[in-house]
Amino acid sequence: DARWPGWELVVGIEVHAQIKSRRKLFSGECRAVYAALMRNMLRLGAEALSSDLTTPPNTHVAPFDAAFPGTLPHLNPKCVELGVRTAIALNADVQHRSAFDRKHYFYADLPSGYQITQQYAPIARNGRLDLEKDGISVRVKQVQLEQDTGKSTFLPRNRITAIDLNRAGMPLMEIVSEPDMRSPEQAGNYVRTLQALLRSVGSSDGNMEQGSLRCDVNVSVNRVGEPPGTRCEIKNLNSVKFMMVAITCEAFRQISLLERGLPVAQETRGFNEERAETYSLRSKEDAPDYRYMPDPNIPPLLIDSTYIDAIRQRMPELPNATRARLLVQGLSQRDVEVLMDVDSGREVGFDGQLGHGAVAYFDEVARGRDPKVVVNWITHELLGQLAFRDETFKENPMSTEQMGDLIDLVQAGKVTGTSGKTILRHILTTRTPDLPSKIAEDLKLLAASDDGASLETWCREAIAALPEQADVVRRGNLKVVDKIMGHVMKASRGTAKAQDVRAMLLKLL
Amino acid sequence: MPLLGRSLCAASGPGPLTGLRLAVKDNICTKAWPTTCSSKILENFKSPFDATVVALLSAGGAEIVGKANCDEFGMGSLNIHSAHGPVVNPFGLQDGEVVERRSAGGSSGGSAAAVAAHLCDAALGTDTGGSVRLPASYCGVVGLKPSYGIISRWGVVSFADSLDCVGVLAQDVHTVRRVHNALAIYDSRDPTAAPSHIREKAAQLSRSHLQQTQDDGLNGLRIGIPQEYFPTELQDNIVAPVRRILEQLRARGATLVPVSLPSTRYALSAYYVISSAEASSNLARYDGIEYGMRVEPPPGADLVKTANVYAHTRSLGFGKEVQRRMLLGTYALSADAFENYFLQAQRVRKLIKADLDRVFCVPNALNGSPSAPADGVHVLLHPSAIQTAPKLPGKDDANAESSTLDAYVQDVMTVPASLAGLPAMSVPGGKGADGWPIGVSVVGQWGCDELVMRVGEVIESCQEHS
Repeated sequence: DARWPGWELVVGIEVHAQIKSRRKLFSGECRAVYAALMRNMLRLGAEALSSDLTTPPNTHVAPFDAAFPGTLPHLNPKCVELGVRTAIALNADVQHRSAFDRKHYFYADLPSGYQITQQYAPIARNGRLDLEKDGISVRVKQVQLEQDTGKSTFLPRNRITAIDLNRAGMPLMEIVSEPDMRSPEQAGNYVRTLQALLRSVGSSDGNMEQGSLRCDVNVSVNRVGEPPGTRCEIKNLNSVKFMMVAITCEAFRQISLLERGLPVAQETRGFNEERAETYSLRSKEDAPDYRYMPDPNIPPLLIDSTYIDAIRQRMPELPNATRARLLVQGLSQRDVEVLMDVDSGREVGFDGQLGHGAVAYFDEVARGRDPKVVVNWITHELLGQLAFRDETFKENPMSTEQMGDLIDLVQAGKVTGTSGKTILRHILTTRTPDLPSKIAEDLKLLAASDDGASLETWCREAIAALPEQADVVRRGNLKVVDKIMGHVMKASRGTAKAQDVRAMLLKLL
Repeated sequence: MPLLGRSLCAASGPGPLTGLRLAVKDNICTKAWPTTCSSKILENFKSPFDATVVALLSAGGAEIVGKANCDEFGMGSLNIHSAHGPVVNPFGLQDGEVVERRSAGGSSGGSAAAVAAHLCDAALGTDTGGSVRLPASYCGVVGLKPSYGIISRWGVVSFADSLDCVGVLAQDVHTVRRVHNALAIYDSRDPTAAPSHIREKAAQLSRSHLQQTQDDGLNGLRIGIPQEYFPTELQDNIVAPVRRILEQLRARGATLVPVSLPSTRYALSAYYVISSAEASSNLARYDGIEYGMRVEPPPGADLVKTANVYAHTRSLGFGKEVQRRMLLGTYALSADAFENYFLQAQRVRKLIKADLDRVFCVPNALNGSPSAPADGVHVLLHPSAIQTAPKLPGKDDANAESSTLDAYVQDVMTVPASLAGLPAMSVPGGKGADGWPIGVSVVGQWGCDELVMRVGEVIESCQEHS
């Protein structure tokens, strides 16, 4: 790597992905009656800020989440299912027996004084994530289920920390990689690939900016040929871009120390985005003893092969498989990229229900039709028109039936390509559920199917209406045909095909 | 066993508990009264929900008369560690005056005393290491700790989750059974509740053995006398009444069988390590942030480290005994001590369970492939306590070091059944040399609560005849 000649970078990443289940990991449902009661009971009030501005703070809080006395955990089976789905997608070994531990520490966003996690017996081990662009495979050490904490926000004016417990008890998958990455770019690729995978199996939104995916990065450096150096952990990274910058900064920091003969202290560091530098949060000496204890309320999680196989059968298609399949259908590399890129923005449903994105749309429309034609209409025309209207695929009102019908009309020659685009625009603007065949009739866009009789009529009318231009053409100046063509097109209201009009005019002239 | 429905309407028509007046230990959540766990840290705390057992009592037609005093968070054997003050054993009352101030036992001292003083017909307590059986013994009433997992713990403030059981106290076994049966219902909100199929399996395994207690005759009933349950601390004057009862049982046809449970001598230590460790974890939530008492840090105090902020509330809010146990428990879980204390205690616990499974003729329904010796015993019998109710310590000696360890030793007889999750009941068994009540404990295999209660009833009838 030209940035640090003579040095090697070793990177490992711990990803915390919020599982997109309807209910939290252990607190069952959060009923409205509790929400009202909790607001009265909790001393946390409305000062707390919520990252999701639509949800008022401390409203999605069951007594268990606020660690009220007498509450007990109840494991949400949906979270287990989505965790297993993820493990399968990562080629990991799903453990037949896993268990939950309590990790103890005191912090205001952790009401019970401990986090329930799976430190010693996680739900899956030994997976891998292939990074095709980099040609490497990153090993996944383990996948574990655990609780998320609440959110704390420091309010400098009042000098208090406000706590919002909406997030307390939300389910997380912690995905721990081995230190197999060697550059910030590989790290970025790992996270992006993981995000796409999680979204495609429907287990998480995987969105760093919205907080449904968080990364802690472990970085160490060593001279080429020497064993790995002391690693530092960098926490609280808000985007893939900043993660890559942070890794680079940290690499330079460690190299600088080592080149001066100073040791790298093992510590946990934060990243200051403005100054583009990491800073110490906690040294090894300050590292707390978490006093892990098996949670006596939660029996070991026993998963048998039947259960795992059932989930494997129902697995949604993974990105690599999708890409391969689309290429085999004859789509160009570029078309596949565009389609999958748009598809990755699709809604992830709750509890693993899969949303319908651009790929599903394409699949539906391409049934019984030429996939190359279909993909063109989707990526060029539909997406183009949506973009022109400042809309994304999410706002697309055109059903697969409508799209299919439109393509059939154009391919059969019943409307021209131009008319087809008009119809598409019409659907986007009016949001009509009508099929394009009907719209074409209503807007009189159907090409005349009378073997050119009306075409001849229009041409003769146009020639009669523009006698001077007709003469010019007769004398040999063919360029002027376009003007007469324009007249014909207007008369035919776009239903006539340009080539046919030209041919007819020339014939008549 | 019927499943618990979501909505339990309040007592309207007649139910199985109609006419009964119940007191509820103050570590069980009630919407209508504060739930303080006898601690300053939960002063005036009002729970937003009722414990399942409370809802079941109301649905069954019982009248709940109030909350009962207890040792703070269930930690204690004398009911002297309470923010509300100590409980006085009503046996020491004469014409309404206290002639002798003795302890009612703990931690459910208030529940036992309320029953003994006829302030209510029955009371709910909790039993983690003997906290229902010991006060029952000292106060001269019946106290049942059911099999672990039989009665829901939703709404019962956790002390040590793997040991806590809701218990029932009353003047007689008949009333205890009435309340127990109304509460022994599967609740999906309690993850440690035994599922229906396990309850059925246990019922099946013990069905034939219930025959041995029909019609007051005990022909075929084998009663195990554990050799290790007569420790040196056991006072001489306790043994005689117990021996008398054993004779009467033998006269009715029971066979007395000496049995050995060799791991018993490690039980008390294992219990205190495990329960303290779990307590240190369960009480970490009392921080003054979400609910309960809050002490503001004084000016100049460190506000950066969270633990330092919490310390002000927790140091003032928790009593000395609770603090002691939490420190011990935290130590037992610390990286240095975990292997030698916590894990070792768990190994001992396994041995104790294995000892007990080897002596009963009824197999343990919780085990994968349960088996039992054909010549095993149906129940065990032993003195509930090493002494009669001890004198209440004066103001000065409540925290003396020697009395702390002596207090722990009171649990030596009761903790093995707690560690193994077995049903155990203390019934009045006569009087000691000082004229104060002595209790006799009946212990059964897991799920054999009914068998335990039947034997207890026979012991009751022995008392009537003696």
